[in-house]
Amino acid sequence: MERMGSPVCHSGGMTLKTAKKTSGFVLAALLCPLLGWVVITAAQDDDRGTIQPAQARQALTLIHARCAVCHTTDLIVQQRLPADRWTVTVEKMMHWGADLSKDEAAVVLQFVTARYHSGAPDHLPSIEEELAMIAPAAGPRPGFEGPVTGVASRGAGLYAHNCQACHGEGAAGGAGPKLARNTILKNEGAFWETVLHGRGPMPAWSAVLSHQEIADIHAWLATR
Amino acid sequence: MTVSRREWLRTALQGIGVGMVVGPGFPSIVTAQGNEARQGTGPLTVRVSRPFDAETPVREFASWLTPNERFFVRSHFGPPPADSVKPDAWRLTVKGLVKEELTLNLKDLQQLEAVTLTAVLQCSGNGRAHHRPKVPGVQWERGAVGNAQWTGVRLRDVLQRAGVKPQGAHVQFQGADRPALATVPLFTRSIPLAKALHSDTLLAYEMNGRPLPLLHGAPLRVITPGWMAESCTKWLTEITVRADETPGYYMQQAYRIPETAVRLSSGLPGSAMVPVEQMPVKSLIAAPAEGDTVRIGPVTVQGVAWAGEAPVVKVEVSCDDGKTWEQARLLGEGQPYAWRQWQFVWSARTPGPTAILCRAIDAQGEQQPATSPWNPGGFLWNGWDRLSVTVAA
Repeated sequence: MERMGSPVCHSGGMTLKTAKKTSGFVLAALLCPLLGWVVITAAQDDDRGTIQPAQARQALTLIHARCAVCHTTDLIVQQRLPADRWTVTVEKMMHWGADLSKDEAAVVLQFVTARYHSGAPDHLPSIEEELAMIAPAAGPRPGFEGPVTGVASRGAGLYAHNCQACHGEGAAGGAGPKLARNTILKNEGAFWETVLHGRGPMPAWSAVLSHQEIADIHAWLATR
Repeated sequence: MTVSRREWLRTALQGIGVGMVVGPGFPSIVTAQGNEARQGTGPLTVRVSRPFDAETPVREFASWLTPNERFFVRSHFGPPPADSVKPDAWRLTVKGLVKEELTLNLKDLQQLEAVTLTAVLQCSGNGRAHHRPKVPGVQWERGAVGNAQWTGVRLRDVLQRAGVKPQGAHVQFQGADRPALATVPLFTRSIPLAKALHSDTLLAYEMNGRPLPLLHGAPLRVITPGWMAESCTKWLTEITVRADETPGYYMQQAYRIPETAVRLSSGLPGSAMVPVEQMPVKSLIAAPAEGDTVRIGPVTVQGVAWAGEAPVVKVEVSCDDGKTWEQARLLGEGQPYAWRQWQFVWSARTPGPTAILCRAIDAQGEQQPATSPWNPGGFLWNGWDRLSVTVAA
């Protein structure tokens, strides 16, 4: 990991640092009532002031979709690290195959450095809780209306990218259940409910996959 | 889906008390698991949901043996598919610098002499959350440790059947677990030949008298008594005798500590990094519990103490936050590698808040320090255990 090509952490181009207080207040106003936080420390306010809502949303979505391929996000939220150790950690994950572009990695790094720094409070909301709070505005295709028709040929690649890590190559199962010829494929209500909102250890994918993409994956799974 | 997920959960969580500490995002793992797994099991404190990493609440350490269902769980990638480690599908190969390569099934192994011993198994990162500055990794507190009875065969007997060539100096272990992405290095470890040939180093197929649960390495795992758990490879499928220490991340970068203590906050250590091996002397308080209120009068303080390859000879307890110390009574008889239970009857006289501390000393004179030396991996925490209680009038 020491031989990384070029560091992913240059934040020179980031706008996060230049975020205005107002955006911090907007996010704080959004978060506080939902979380029932009565007291917010000055440090937290400052943290949030360095992350614009749109970028927090992007970071949360990336963490949820890309980091959680190998480990649940609770592992991230429990860390309290200085910036240099976060930098090394994100570089290590990139080196190990985390599916993040350099720009995406920079967004993630900026977020975790601001939120999970050495002085952050012991208990912070989970990535999923934060995502749920901002998801209504973040759904990739919020204008979903009625059923969509899945295309199996598109679903193969989407499956490989998003599902295979847990459900195995060819949907044959792995850490998660085998999906090939699984009865849930015939129960579309249960299938959509599980994919959109998660179930047990499986995270919710509603903020990551569009309805069309979910339908494509379903269509491909039906061919297995 | 309902059926298959339940089956999967049942398999994945086999041997686990599923009173999980879960956030609102994961409410259904308990319901999906149903009542059956929760019956007769205590909760584990889940640190990471996947791969499943969970620690034992310290109150469980009032028992000498830690039940399989309540034993801490740690792996880098989670268990392999259950089918791949079923006894009829599973094979162990012994290769590398040996005179004769072996492929063994479980019955072959069980032809060798069976050995049972009781040993502490502890994650090197146990107590990582107490290190300051904080270090990355699973933020284990006190319970990534347990004491179990292991039954298996001597690794030495297996190596003797294969015949170690004179150049062989390290023994490498590979389990069947695999990362989600092929770009992540495998968890491959090695131990020096001397430890491998030690008569107490086992390939264990039973834990507390029952076949190894999937989460604990079914059907076969390494047990290196006195050494930290990263040497105790689970789901063992390959043993390779080598001339050198195993290359790769999990042997050459992870699980290493500075040979000499580093200065706090000094960044990267200035000394050579050596593999984590022996457990340092350590003790824990199992009761009372953190935050308890106790009554004026006699209060039984109890816990456990252990060390690597040396026995614990003394445990001291302070009930006034470290001002004065008294000797606890060691219970039962010492067994190599097992932990020792201890007890101290405290005469609580002064109402108000106080802290109870404990510290142990081993036969080599090593003392449990107030705080452990900082190291970049956050390994080997063995600072005095401490909990806050209130004495009620």
